[in-house]
Amino acid sequence: MKLRVISLIKKSLPLRLSLLVVIFAAIVLIAALGFMFGVSRQAIRQEAINRATDQLDNTIQRVTNILDKVEVSANSTEWLVRRHLNFPDSMFVYSHQVLENNPDLNGCSIAFEPYYYPERGRYFSAYSFNDNGKILTTQEGNEHYEYFYLDWYQLCKLLDCPIWTEPFLDYNPDDINSEEMIASYCKPMKNENGEYIGTVSVDISLGWLSKIISAVKPYPNSYSMMIGQGGTYFVHPDTNKLVYQSIFTESMDHPDSAMVELGHAMQRGEHGMRQLKVDNEDCYVFFKPLGSTGWSVAIVCPESDIFGSFNKLRRTVTGTVFGGLLLLMLVCSLSIRHELKPLTHLALQAETIASGDFSKTLPHDGRSDEVGRLSESFTNMQHSLVNYIEELKDTTTQKASIERELKVASEIQMSMVPRMFPAFPSRKDIDLYASISPAKEVGGDLYDFFIQDEKLNFCVGDVSGKGVPASLFMAVTRNLFRIVAQQGHAPVEIANQINTILAKDNDQAMFVTMFIGKVDLRTGHLDYCDCGHNAPVIDGQFLDMKHHNQPLGLIEDVPFYGESMENIKGKQILLYTDGLNEAENSNQEILGNERLIELMQGVQSMDARQVVDMLAAAVEEHRAGAEPNDDLTLLCLRVEG
Amino acid sequence: MPLYLKAVSVIILIQDLMLCNKMNTRSNWISCSRIRSIYIFFLLLLVSVNVQGQGKFIFTPQWTAQAQFAGYYVALEKGFYKEAGLSVEIVHPSPTQPALKRICENQSHATTLQLCQAMEIIDEGVELVNILQTSMNNAMVIVSRRGVNPLTQKGERVGIWSAGFGQLAKCMNIKEKLNYQWIPSATNVNLFVAGAVDATLAMSYNEYYQLVQTGLPVNEKCVYRFCDHGYNVQEDGVYMTREYYEKHRAEAKKFAQASRRGWEWAAAHPEETLDIVMKYVHDNQIVTNRILQKLMLEEILRLQINRESGKREFRLRPDMVKRASDLMLECKLLKHEVTYEQLIAK
Repeated sequence: MKLRVISLIKKSLPLRLSLLVVIFAAIVLIAALGFMFGVSRQAIRQEAINRATDQLDNTIQRVTNILDKVEVSANSTEWLVRRHLNFPDSMFVYSHQVLENNPDLNGCSIAFEPYYYPERGRYFSAYSFNDNGKILTTQEGNEHYEYFYLDWYQLCKLLDCPIWTEPFLDYNPDDINSEEMIASYCKPMKNENGEYIGTVSVDISLGWLSKIISAVKPYPNSYSMMIGQGGTYFVHPDTNKLVYQSIFTESMDHPDSAMVELGHAMQRGEHGMRQLKVDNEDCYVFFKPLGSTGWSVAIVCPESDIFGSFNKLRRTVTGTVFGGLLLLMLVCSLSIRHELKPLTHLALQAETIASGDFSKTLPHDGRSDEVGRLSESFTNMQHSLVNYIEELKDTTTQKASIERELKVASEIQMSMVPRMFPAFPSRKDIDLYASISPAKEVGGDLYDFFIQDEKLNFCVGDVSGKGVPASLFMAVTRNLFRIVAQQGHAPVEIANQINTILAKDNDQAMFVTMFIGKVDLRTGHLDYCDCGHNAPVIDGQFLDMKHHNQPLGLIEDVPFYGESMENIKGKQILLYTDGLNEAENSNQEILGNERLIELMQGVQSMDARQVVDMLAAAVEEHRAGAEPNDDLTLLCLRVEG
Repeated sequence: MPLYLKAVSVIILIQDLMLCNKMNTRSNWISCSRIRSIYIFFLLLLVSVNVQGQGKFIFTPQWTAQAQFAGYYVALEKGFYKEAGLSVEIVHPSPTQPALKRICENQSHATTLQLCQAMEIIDEGVELVNILQTSMNNAMVIVSRRGVNPLTQKGERVGIWSAGFGQLAKCMNIKEKLNYQWIPSATNVNLFVAGAVDATLAMSYNEYYQLVQTGLPVNEKCVYRFCDHGYNVQEDGVYMTREYYEKHRAEAKKFAQASRRGWEWAAAHPEETLDIVMKYVHDNQIVTNRILQKLMLEEILRLQINRESGKREFRLRPDMVKRASDLMLECKLLKHEVTYEQLIAK
């Protein structure tokens, strides 16, 4: 699927251009919107912090004012008690008065250390409590109720300072459902020597506190809670958690470091804000300690509440932008597709033309823009192409005709040299074999031989250049050799006459190298004239010649010099053109004279044909598949005694 | 009044106070006191007749409903007692009806006690019989507030239950020469959290997790486990008076077997057991939660496994009885040796 989409994008220019436009637009929009959303979110967050903090401050102030009254009543009672320690019965009056003066309070104890009043025994605690509006006063301690082991008494004694106890549920054993949450403010009492003598404790119901704190609701789904010093929930909307659980309880089962960290911060009496998950919902929790109680109040605000409107706006804007980008892409795509429609048409037409249908006419919509110019250029190209194809057809026809003619010319050229072997079937004393292989259809090499008056005339030549001009020059040279040699001249004379004829009117400055020889078959005497040709190989060695002369046809009046060998009977003579020793392979490495001499070693037992075939095969092997770089002519001769 | 009756009165009153304290009741202690006076009257009369439920076996755990007694709730809820031919009723103690009082008044037939508690009572002259031993290990720990080894806190304030249970800690304090300043309290946890004590005694299945629940950083470095330091003495077992046992041996045996079956089922089905425990917790309006009870159940079940055999053995170990008796005698918490033979159901 992914590959298909990529392939589609690669194939479609309108789609690609549209995507580029949309991507660029998206980047700009996302950057702008991201900045705007970031700033807005920060502002909303700050507003939420201010709002929650204000409400938290106000609530805590309200609660603290009430708790202060409790503390003041306990402090003033402690002050009174210290001044009337000698009157134990007055303690009942003081505790009673506390409740009379503060009807909202639930109870007041003025409890002393064991045997503080020896005459009163181990226990002495004046306790007044509010029994449905009726204030009852009694001596609280006895062997069944050893108050000095209880938190409210022990804590302020051991800590040596006033304390608020952890809230606790007070209920009537006869009516177990009538629970009421109570907290006590306890102040240690000391005698004039600074020794601890007892505790004044004032109890207050926390129902009102729970109502005040629970009413704090800055957002529709936000709620408030309060934890004690031990982390226990004393105000919480979930009654299953109230008193029964602490802020750390759930972390004992499913570790939640953020909640634990929040609990510790609240226990330490810090105030601040934390962002964490509460009941799997992202929330902001604002918290502040409640005066000197050791308790901490927190407002939990779900992030969805704080950023509800903002998130809605963001979703709407994001959706609109996304839709807009899609629309932009659609419009861009259609517009570009429309603008590039001639190109599409052009591409289709071009494909038709490419398939060989040159008659297809290209559309002309009269546009003068880039597309119009491209269309015009394409039309011009089409016309040029049609003309070129026509010319090509003619050229091809002509070439085929020339090739046919060249083939005929090649056959004619080959027919000009003797190709019947054995050359002299009736002469057992002559072993002669020759071959000619043009590099192209026709070549510039030649050889010839004939017997006249018991003398064997022979030659091997190589015309400068290749192809048709060389072949024509070769034909002329071969005919000249046959005509002049048949007049019985020595090789040097033959060379002189051929040179004179060829040099005249030789505007093309063509020439031919040639080795001309004449063997007296009776005596084995050899006369020869080398006209700038490769030195023959006799019995595996290059023939050592004094005169190399110039090639035939170059300069008219230059004398040629001939040479002779006394008797060549039994000797193996190889004449060749440079197609042998200068044959190149694909790396332009030539076969070389050394290799030639090497090849010619140990071939004395071979007849002429075998030698020629062996050398042709060696050249083929050396070329290793490369095209022949020159004509190759070989002639091997041995006159037996 | 005979000596053993005095002892029983004292222990009953301690338990009574303990339960009153647990409820943190301030305004209602007077009514509690009134009821106490009535029960003391009854105690003096010692009516040795079964005043409740003729033919019913009344079992009273030593504390309010919690996972510490899960096996008995399971045995009742799953019908193990009924299958044993017993009609058992579990009656939890209340401020006016503590467990031992109910036993002595023949209102309950069996209760749970820690081994050291039972030895103290026997030492005072009350003959008790252990009909089922559930705990095989000691659960008591000392937790230090300052993150230090409690053994280094010589002379410091250490919270102890005002209602008892601290016998072993007192022995350890003497033997290790720690000279702790014991602070008796109804609720050790609050004193500890507020920083009023430097360390506190706790049960590994109860107060220990309550401390964890307050967010205090409790780690093994600051916890001293008695069981790991030569004070491994068994705790919870089911006891009844020898007088009752002699007359109802078959009934006691059936109760012990069905209770054991309840514990074994609880070990095999902890989640269902927890459901049953929470039912009792809710019915009795106990201030706790499922997570605490789950941890308590796991720990209680762990403590029931003999470290050496790796099995749940349900037997009193003579060596542990001897160890507890020797320690308490040495530290003068017992006047006489209490032997294994005195405790077991012969």
